[in-house]
Amino acid sequence: MELAPVFTWLYGLLLSLGLGTSVADLISLVALAVIVFGFLAVVALFLVWWERKVSAHIQQRFGPMMTGWHGVFQTIIDALKLLQKEDITPALADRKVFFWAPVICFVCAFAAYVVMPFGKGLIVSDLNIGILYIVAITTFTIISLLMAGWGSNNKYALLGGMRSAAQAVSYEVPLVLSLLGVVMVTGSMSMNDIVAGQAGWGGFHWNALFQPLGFLIYIIAATAEANRTPFDLPEAEQELVAGFNIEYSGMKFAMFFLAEFVNMFTVSAIAATVFLGGWNGPLLPSWVWFLGKTLAMVFVLMWFRWTYPRLRVDQLMEFAWKVLVPLAFLNILYVGVMAKWLKW
Amino acid sequence: MAEQLRTEEMILNMGPHHPSTHGVCRLILTLDGEVIKNCVPVVGYLHRAIEKMVENRTYAQCIPLMDRFEYVTSMSCDWAFCLAAEKLTEITVPERAEYLRVIMAELNRIASHLVFMGVTAMDLGALTPFLYGFREREMIMDLFEMTCGQRLTYNYIRIGGVSKDIPPEFIGQCRHFLDIFPGKIKDYEKLLLKNPIWIARNRGIGIITEQMAYDYAISGPNARASGVNFDLRKDDPYSIYNRFEFDIPVLNGCDCYDRYIVRLEEMRQAARIIRQALDQLPGGEIRAKVPLKFKPEIGELYSRIENSRGEMGVYLVSDGSTKPFRLRARGGSYNHLQAIPDIVRGLKIADMVAIFASLDIIMPEIDR
Amino acid sequence: MELNGVMTKQELIDHIKAHFPGPLEMIETKQPEPYFIVRPEDLVAFARFIHDDPQLQMNFLMSLAGVDTGQRCEVVYNVCSYPLKHRLLFKILLPRDNAEFDSVLSVWPAANWYEREVWELYGMNVRNHPNLTRFLLTDDWDEGNPMRKGWTGTDFITLPDRG
Repeated sequence: MELAPVFTWLYGLLLSLGLGTSVADLISLVALAVIVFGFLAVVALFLVWWERKVSAHIQQRFGPMMTGWHGVFQTIIDALKLLQKEDITPALADRKVFFWAPVICFVCAFAAYVVMPFGKGLIVSDLNIGILYIVAITTFTIISLLMAGWGSNNKYALLGGMRSAAQAVSYEVPLVLSLLGVVMVTGSMSMNDIVAGQAGWGGFHWNALFQPLGFLIYIIAATAEANRTPFDLPEAEQELVAGFNIEYSGMKFAMFFLAEFVNMFTVSAIAATVFLGGWNGPLLPSWVWFLGKTLAMVFVLMWFRWTYPRLRVDQLMEFAWKVLVPLAFLNILYVGVMAKWLKW
Repeated sequence: MAEQLRTEEMILNMGPHHPSTHGVCRLILTLDGEVIKNCVPVVGYLHRAIEKMVENRTYAQCIPLMDRFEYVTSMSCDWAFCLAAEKLTEITVPERAEYLRVIMAELNRIASHLVFMGVTAMDLGALTPFLYGFREREMIMDLFEMTCGQRLTYNYIRIGGVSKDIPPEFIGQCRHFLDIFPGKIKDYEKLLLKNPIWIARNRGIGIITEQMAYDYAISGPNARASGVNFDLRKDDPYSIYNRFEFDIPVLNGCDCYDRYIVRLEEMRQAARIIRQALDQLPGGEIRAKVPLKFKPEIGELYSRIENSRGEMGVYLVSDGSTKPFRLRARGGSYNHLQAIPDIVRGLKIADMVAIFASLDIIMPEIDR
Repeated sequence: MELNGVMTKQELIDHIKAHFPGPLEMIETKQPEPYFIVRPEDLVAFARFIHDDPQLQMNFLMSLAGVDTGQRCEVVYNVCSYPLKHRLLFKILLPRDNAEFDSVLSVWPAANWYEREVWELYGMNVRNHPNLTRFLLTDDWDEGNPMRKGWTGTDFITLPDRG
């Protein structure tokens, strides 16, 4: 059961109220924003619970079990608890910077979903620079990490902010290069076009099958962009005691925390859309395929976190610049040759 | 006009409350960016004045204090003290008690190395081996609880023998543990040792040369990973260790990676010793006849045993009364922490964490 | 039990007495290691001798402890040799007031914190030590030297002798 017809019907309802197209458009945009925000908030809550269960079962324990069936309401309870915590700002902190850092992080995490194809016809706005827009918006989180590190007036936070900025900037390059391979083959940066290009073979004409190296580079760079282990230096607990968000408490901390999980969902959704066929697939509705593929990628990211140790800062930089970037260029060469020779 | 960029050295305090230091230890680091220029350890947060307290207690009352001298391997601490007291009076410990002491001490060694393994991996970001190691440690804790009722500070090894005999279920459960344990060690090795991230974080980090090991009196697995072939159980044997067949793992890498491997291998050898001890366990008394008011002869001696952290030595001075005159308990971590400033100079903070974890430093030994 | 050392106890005693120029007092004990009393002024020379002599090679300082016997103060050194596997115990005797002795850091760098602890808890001064600062006790400790016999603190109770 596809969801696009529902939205079209709702829009028709709005028009029939006699408000005129511009007012109806305005109302529908606001409504879409609220719906997407609501969906992502629920997704973030779900992911926090799921991470705790996945990590618990990997470590042979149970995880949350008391609040609801197998602890499903745990995240809501935790969010309520964080809401009632005192919001402390350090006395010597740079107030404006300290205040705006979590806001920017949160907003940028959600702004990427304007171009995300949730299903057939379920996209808020199909910009023709879709992929470029996503890359540009997710880069803003780097600024917010730096702001958090600087504004906290704390050496640990400063170290965390510097590390995270270095890491994010370094891994942007292979990320974008790996996406470039797909754009070359598709011939367009629009997300709907990328998904449509993978519609062949009954919905299994995935880009990952044709560009495995690109897919691998994307996964590694995406793990680094999402600040997950083995690249979670900005928040290395054992060394920096929570890194850049050490001075944040209450709702501001909750914003960083939820933004991290929404980021994880974003990079997995991009992987699912660009490399794994998006919402294409037989039998099931398109949004089910999209969610399923995204959640599978999220599971892989969680699996990485609870298995691997952490890299040191200089080893991380070395890996990005000396290994990933050359491989990414190699991938582009390969795609270019294949596109010319096999007429992809 | 271009301003000079200020690149000052930063003083960072890895304070007493820190998820990574093992116990309460404060490290004052002088950093230049991420590179450590100097490191000053500040200790004394866990000072309980054990050495002053024992002068006020009888020998039997000292044993719970020695438990807390190093609570992760408290069987060995009890044993070191009882060995010193027994040597002063030349008591012969019954055979069964000797075997029980060896079994308990080796089980304790395995438990301590499991803690080491978990905590080291956790400090480097691999959060899962910690829980796998503790799963096996729970089985050992069950064995101890069944024997003496305690899980951490046992007060089990007494002067002249041990305090209680093992219940009948002990041998069966211990053998079951020994049967599954080698497979688990293989799991731990497979999980981390060939991982390129693990190797990159540990290979070549924290070099302790053989000369440094002698200069700073570094003992135990830390020295054995630097090529020093010395184990008190073979080279200065105490109790009945000369009846068992076991190997001493000695590696030449001198770095964190080898220290990890040496301890994993020691766990295997400890399991071997326990198996032989269970096979040879005789019947008989578990405690020699020791007078109620135990008064050793006047004299002084230094006796040492091989603890899981290194050499645990007890210098005991007795003046013929029921209370020790002077007790100087020396643990391996005391020397290892002294050597840290020399080891970490020029490395990064992340390496500091890896080195501190791999040296297996436990603070109560240092502060007493 | 005898040690696995290369030299027996009597050979060790003879070798040290024959080759060390200063006066030494040897005490007979039942323990397997020799027991010497060295003059405080010969301390560093003795330490260097047993460290460098190729037949002794005592390169491992096992323990350095201060003792207060009530009449005098002592500093007791337990050393052993890793290649040759023999042990030695020697001590220096000092008066209770204004006790001072030389640091053996130049021979065994491991003595650093041991000597610092002796200074702090016993009040014995260590010459040539680079860093005599507060170590185990708090930074503003002003209640004397706790390990001395006869020291009492505000909450120091003597337990009854129950055996």
